[in-house]
Amino acid sequence: LPEPTSELSSREVEHVARLARLGITPDEVLKYRDQLRNILHHIEALNRADTSKVPATAHPLEERNVMREDRREPCLPADAALRNAPSREDSYFKVKAIQE
Amino acid sequence: MKLFHRTIRDLHQMLRDREISSVELTQSVLDQIQAVGDRTKAYLLVTKELALRQAHAADERLRSKRDVRPMTGIPIALKDVLCVKEVASTAGSKILKGFTPPYSATVVERLEAEGAVFLGKTNCDEFAMGSSNENSGYWPVHNPWGLDRVPGGSSGGSAAAVASGEAIAALGSDTGGSIRQPAALTGIVGLKPTYGRVSRYGLIAFASSLDQIGPMTRDVVDSALLLQAIAGHDPRDSTSSPKPVPDYLATLGDGVKGMRLGVPEEYFVAGMEPAVEQSIRDAIRLLEQQGASIEEVSLPHSDVALPAYYIIAPAEASSNLARYDGVRYGYQAEGARNLIEEYMLTRQQGFGAEVKRRIMLGTYALSSGYYDAYYLQAQKVRTLIIDDFKRAFTKVDALLGATSPTVAFPLGAKTQDPVAMYLNDIITIPANLGNVCAISVPCGLADGLPVGLQVIAPGFREDLALRIAFAFEAATEFHKAQSPLMGAAA
Repeated sequence: LPEPTSELSSREVEHVARLARLGITPDEVLKYRDQLRNILHHIEALNRADTSKVPATAHPLEERNVMREDRREPCLPADAALRNAPSREDSYFKVKAIQE
Repeated sequence: MKLFHRTIRDLHQMLRDREISSVELTQSVLDQIQAVGDRTKAYLLVTKELALRQAHAADERLRSKRDVRPMTGIPIALKDVLCVKEVASTAGSKILKGFTPPYSATVVERLEAEGAVFLGKTNCDEFAMGSSNENSGYWPVHNPWGLDRVPGGSSGGSAAAVASGEAIAALGSDTGGSIRQPAALTGIVGLKPTYGRVSRYGLIAFASSLDQIGPMTRDVVDSALLLQAIAGHDPRDSTSSPKPVPDYLATLGDGVKGMRLGVPEEYFVAGMEPAVEQSIRDAIRLLEQQGASIEEVSLPHSDVALPAYYIIAPAEASSNLARYDGVRYGYQAEGARNLIEEYMLTRQQGFGAEVKRRIMLGTYALSSGYYDAYYLQAQKVRTLIIDDFKRAFTKVDALLGATSPTVAFPLGAKTQDPVAMYLNDIITIPANLGNVCAISVPCGLADGLPVGLQVIAPGFREDLALRIAFAFEAATEFHKAQSPLMGAAA
C-alpha cells in the first residue's frame, strides 16, 4: 500500500479540483491545501485499526440485487423533466460545445 | 397554552373531537413563524398558501370522519433536502436556487396521504454537510434557547422550528448525526432510523449508504407516531427494507424493567463538557432506578469511526454531487466559453466552502494511488464498527451515551476549524456506519442549554429505542422545558 501522506501539495489540490470539475482560485488552492492537510492528518488514525483480516463493507444491507418485472411503468413526461433546465431546445438539454 | 405548544398526540385528539380545526391550528403555527421567524431563521421557505389549503382539506376529512389518521391536519416542517413537487427545494445550496422538483419524496407523499399540513422548507447546512447550520448557502439558523448559539446541524432549521413553536414536528435527515445532534442542542427528540427503514426516494442525496430520514418532535410519543407514518418498504428505493413495520405505540409503555443497557466508556470522549457528562450519568442512573441493569461495555473501534466517516461520506458525496453541472437543473454560470469551463464555473460559484472541501476530500480519497490507503481502509474499518455493535448487542439490549459532547456553542466559534467542527459528531457517527438506530431525548439543561441522551438499539429495533426513550421521558420533566422563544408566548 502506498503510505498516505499528509503533505498534500498545491499541485495535487489543483489536480483534484480539476478531476471534480471545480473551479478554484490560487488563494483557495493554498487555503484548501492547508485545511485538507489538517483533515488528512486526523484521518490517518485509520491506520491504527488492524484490518489485515477484515473484509470491506461496501453497503450496509443484506438485501442484494433487487429486481422488478421488466414492464413499462409510468415515468416523468419530457416536459416536466426539462422544466428546470437553464437552457433547452425542443425536448433536449442544450449545452455548449465541448471544445471551442 | 397556545395550540402551537402542543404535541401531535394532543392535537390529534382535539382535532378528532372537533374541539379545534386544522385551519385554526395551522394559523396558530403560522402566527408563531411570523412572530419569531426572523429571529430563528429556521425556514428557507414558508408555504403558507399550501398549508392553509391542506388544512382546509384536512378539516373536510375530519368533519366527514373518513380515514382520519394521526397526522391528519398536523402542521409539519420539512428539511429542504426533501423534494416536494412544484415547491422550491434547494438542500440549502445556491446551486439549486429556483429548483422546483417534478416529483415528491416518498415520505412527503406518505404524509400527504395522511392529510398532514406542510408549513415549508427548513434551513439546513448545504447538502446536509455540517454540524451547526452555518454552512447553509442562505443564512445561519439561531438556537431558540440562545439566539447567539447554533442550533446544531445539519437539520438545524427543523430543530429550531420544533423548539420555537414554528412547527409541531419536522422531518430531518441524518448521515452522521444530523437529526440527533440538533435535536440534542435544541431540547427536542430526534430519531435516526436504521438504514433501509425509511425510503430515501426524493431525498437529495449526500452519502447514499448512510443517509436516513427521520422524525424531530417534542416528545417520544410523537416520534413514534411520525416514524409510523413514514416507515416501510418503497419499491422506488431498492435499499428500503421489506421487513414489516411494527406498531411502535403498542410497546412504547412496556418500560425498561429487566432490560440490560450498556454504557460504552469510549463514548465519554475527551473534550466532553463536565456538565454534559453529569447529565448523562444522572440519566443512566435514572434508567437503573426504573429497573434496567446497567453494564459497562466496550466498542473498541469507536476512535476510528470519525476518520472512517470522513472518508466514506465525502467519497460518496463527491460522486453524488457530480450531477450539479448547470445543465439539467439549478444554477448555471454565465460567460463560459465551452462546456468544461461551464461545469467548473457553475460549481465554483454554486457550491459553498464546506461542500467544496468535502468534494475535494472525497475525490482525493478515491483517486488513483490513494484508494486502498483511504477508501478501502475506511470500508474495512466500517466492518469493525458493525462488528463492535454486533458483539455489544449479544450482551445488552441497547446502548446509552451522550448525543453531543457539548451543549450548543456560539455562532462562529468553530467555523474557521473544520476538524473542530467534525468532532461534534464523534458519538453520533458510529450508529450511521454500524447501521443501527438511535434516538436523542432531552435529559436536562447545562448552563441553561439542553443536553440529549442517546439511546442506540440494534438495526430495525426502533421499537426498543423508542421504548427506552419513553421510559426515560415518562419519569422526567425535561422534555417539557420550553425554549425562551416558545415559552414567552405561553
